[in-house]
Amino acid sequence: MNEPFSTSSTVTVAFYAASVLTIVAAVLVVTQRDLVRSVVALAFSFIGVAAIYFILNAEFIGIVQILVYVGAISILIAFAVMFIRDLTIAGALSKNMLLSATASVLLLAAVIFVVYNTEWVGIEEVTHPDAVAGLVGEYTEHEQNGRRIVRIASSESEDSYTGVMVDSSGTIGALLIRNYLLPFETLGLLLIAALIGALVIIRERRGDAKN
Amino acid sequence: MNLESVLVVAATLFSIGLFGVLSRRNIIAVIMSLELMFNGVLVATIAFARFTAPAALLSSSGTVTVDSLRTALSGHVFAVFVIAIAAAETALALALVFAFYRARQSVELADATQMKH
Repeated sequence: MNEPFSTSSTVTVAFYAASVLTIVAAVLVVTQRDLVRSVVALAFSFIGVAAIYFILNAEFIGIVQILVYVGAISILIAFAVMFIRDLTIAGALSKNMLLSATASVLLLAAVIFVVYNTEWVGIEEVTHPDAVAGLVGEYTEHEQNGRRIVRIASSESEDSYTGVMVDSSGTIGALLIRNYLLPFETLGLLLIAALIGALVIIRERRGDAKN
Repeated sequence: MNLESVLVVAATLFSIGLFGVLSRRNIIAVIMSLELMFNGVLVATIAFARFTAPAALLSSSGTVTVDSLRTALSGHVFAVFVIAIAAAETALALALVFAFYRARQSVELADATQMKH
């Protein structure tokens, strides 16, 4: 394994701890009969996933995960659970549990088989010094034939940037504004549509209160 | 920690979510399991962004453009989109649950037998 992309053993231990937290909490989500406990376990599972994002150098996604999933979606589901208090029968598992478990385990086995039998083109195969510097080192940008090109930063270069995998937030912003502007704006439209749709669905119609 | 181990964690999360979706009878519990499945997919997306490289960066000669460097983080942008769409989906699903509960006084999937009330 090439040195610049490898992870230290401390990070690996942290990754396995976060994975265990995530998976144990996820198992609790689907097995607890009390839905309030399920929601709490769900929040812990989301926190574990956020920790995995931080370990995978995705700090922006990790923060978004905590804000959106732990902060908004868990709370929303907790509100729903507390509004609808049929909790005693609510968590009951259905009769076709064996069938569901078989399907899930088969899917998991199939995915693991594919994962270990595919030749992934790993990031450690990036050997160009400019590319390595642009990903995890220090780089500078130059204009050449109308294109912006990346060079490894030397000691005397003035305006160098940190590699995009180390300092990802700014690069995500640039990607959203430059390469993915139309999908990004469409996403805003989708959120507005979902907001209005949710309000329309949940609105109490006149006459509903009687029956 | 390598690509395979992270993908196995992601697949496990997805499978646990799938088990929940198939086996739970309560609609809110099914929505929670769906969120677990979303998270499994997101972990896989970020793992690919971290452990694989765009083809433009693989050649050992020539110049590296800023655009091809940025595409190394496309997986993160995908994750942003998936998170936003999942949030919208959850809000809509819970609105539907409330409407269903008002109509039928129930949150059991087995009671959802007709489109109108």
